[in-house]
Amino acid sequence: MSQTLALIWDAYRDLNSRRMFWIVLILSALVAASFAAIGVTSTGFKIFTWEIPSPILNSKELSPGDFYKSIFLNYGIGFWLTWLATVLALISTASLFPDFLAGGAVDLYLSKPISRLRLFLTKYACGLLFVGLQIGCFCGASFVVIGLRGGAWEPGIFLAVPIVVLFFSYLFCFCVLIGVWTRSTVAAVLLTFLFWVFTFGVHTTEVTLLTFKLTEESAAARLDKLIQSDQERLANWQRAKATRPTTQNSDYVTMYQNDLKSDRAKRQDMHGSFVRPHAIFYDVKTVLPKTSETVALLERMLISSARLEHVARDRQDDSENSSAELNGNPIPMRELQAEIRSRSVGWIVGTSVGFEAVVLALAAWIFCRRDY
Amino acid sequence: MSPTASGYAIDLQNVTKIYRRRVHALQDVSMRVNRGEIFGLLGPNGAGKSTLVKIMVTVVRPTSAHGTILGHAIGHKATLGRVGYLPENHRFPRYLSGRQVIEFFSALAKADRSMRKKRAAELLDLVGMTAWADTQISQYSKGMLQRVGLAQALGANPDLIILDEPSDGVDPGGRRDIRQVLLHLRQQGATVFINSHLLSELESVCDRVAILVGGKVARQGSVNELTMPKQCYLFELESPTWPAVAATFVGAFDLGAPPAPGRPARGWLQDKSWCEFDGIALRVGRTEAANVQDIIDALRKNNLVIRRMQLIRPSLEDLFFEAMTDLTTQPAALSGARPPPLSGRS
Repeated sequence: MSQTLALIWDAYRDLNSRRMFWIVLILSALVAASFAAIGVTSTGFKIFTWEIPSPILNSKELSPGDFYKSIFLNYGIGFWLTWLATVLALISTASLFPDFLAGGAVDLYLSKPISRLRLFLTKYACGLLFVGLQIGCFCGASFVVIGLRGGAWEPGIFLAVPIVVLFFSYLFCFCVLIGVWTRSTVAAVLLTFLFWVFTFGVHTTEVTLLTFKLTEESAAARLDKLIQSDQERLANWQRAKATRPTTQNSDYVTMYQNDLKSDRAKRQDMHGSFVRPHAIFYDVKTVLPKTSETVALLERMLISSARLEHVARDRQDDSENSSAELNGNPIPMRELQAEIRSRSVGWIVGTSVGFEAVVLALAAWIFCRRDY
Repeated sequence: MSPTASGYAIDLQNVTKIYRRRVHALQDVSMRVNRGEIFGLLGPNGAGKSTLVKIMVTVVRPTSAHGTILGHAIGHKATLGRVGYLPENHRFPRYLSGRQVIEFFSALAKADRSMRKKRAAELLDLVGMTAWADTQISQYSKGMLQRVGLAQALGANPDLIILDEPSDGVDPGGRRDIRQVLLHLRQQGATVFINSHLLSELESVCDRVAILVGGKVARQGSVNELTMPKQCYLFELESPTWPAVAATFVGAFDLGAPPAPGRPARGWLQDKSWCEFDGIALRVGRTEAANVQDIIDALRKNNLVIRRMQLIRPSLEDLFFEAMTDLTTQPAALSGARPPPLSGRS
């Protein structure tokens, strides 16, 4: 235990000595402080004394507490912590293992009565400590700002700490694997960013293909209904034509026959061309860490814990009511949201943590088996 | 008293290390270090010295190895708490002070907190770094880093101290101080294993040495044991002639003609001691003054004037170079079977 504590204390001193740690911390403090600079009025919101009218962001639509919580959610978490601060944290922690594995440094640790696996895992945990401390400080500052300015003391904000650390750990484990394997900080940073872009790309492609698939399915269902209706109307007009043969009746029969023919042709073109590509990307995504969805989990949890359901509902309604179309067909936003939301926390976190475990096991295996 | 097998501080048997299935760094190395002695490991670059040291402290995994460190199998992690180690070209965390380095690595060696604090202060004093104890090591010179490194190796009060090039980058004053520390440790009963290129330094402090060449132990034993077979008496003669020398030692030399430069005449005397004549000096493989009186008589009888007579003791450096040039890397027991090289030290 004293060894683990010594390693953790050393990691803290290491972080303390890194300029980037303090830069990120100061920037986090500035971001949190900037929340305090924003105020909400009955007609909109204001930054310092500059008033910006808004039909949504005003004290009539949102209480000051909800206003600040929504800012925290959208900008503090969605933009700062999961993008900019993560990039800075990755740059800062990428050298942790390559520096540790440098000749003359690792020898000092390996020659002590501590197992290599324990040493590896403790060092890994110490890397996560960086992000944990940063997010903890940011959430603490945001908690105070939202409490003082918005009058809402919302402890749910601290849910961001485990979730963002989890999100960061998906990337950090990959960074550690590259760092242990190549012993190069540059390679670790660059390949981790590439991996991040790759997972983001797979996620975006999967969601896009899902949108195409659902839009097509929705259009097909609509056409099926139309064909059924065409068939019914055609049958009615054919009965009318048989009992009362008139020119008008014959015209309607011809028209509905043409409509039916055209709709059937359109329906025949729809043969689920997005089902297989989507299934492939879904399978690929299943084995990869789900960075975006993990952060979205935070939004889900924070929205319910911070009683921001109406913010979420408004956002959902907006997207559902949007007139977005794909190949002339309206996008079924409700189904899309439902499909995405139907993915369980177990699937999102479980498969991601599974990936992390495999990558970490590989990195630990390299670390433990190598001669230094 | 001869130490039992478990009584050795280090007892390595058939240690082999092959890198990437091609590079044979160590081949069946066997070595024993008694408790309470200072043992020196020397050898040229690439001989496998650092690999051997790293195997002992589990930094490198052996391809095959038997034996014990402080009575426990090689690789036994708990035993490492009783082993202090200073690696070559060590890199301590730059953000720590000298005191923090000692305390941190003592903590990793499972030393008690109270002991760590007390011991750090004592060790800083021992290596003469008290004044710099709380300065970040990024501001230390190479010599200061070595001193703190040595103190770090002693942090957990180990029974065995393994030092890889401890004097690297240290000025002569610092080397003397380190030597004093090593002698102090021996007095305290600790075992010290040093890997160093500085032969004169090893010679002055080591009880026993091993010479590693090409991944094999070429020589092993106390400095006296190793040099004894190479000791000889040198007789520098005044304008000697080959016929006179040949007549003095009839049938002893392998050459019928006078020796050419760089190719001395070698042979064996009747009592099986070796002799060598290079055209000016005669060397005889005897170590007692009483045993060379007959040689003096024989030389004088044949009108050969003795200008100087001296007992020659080979240095560790001589042994080292001989082991390096000895391509067959004969085991220690056979050393001395051949006449020694010309260089030597009285």
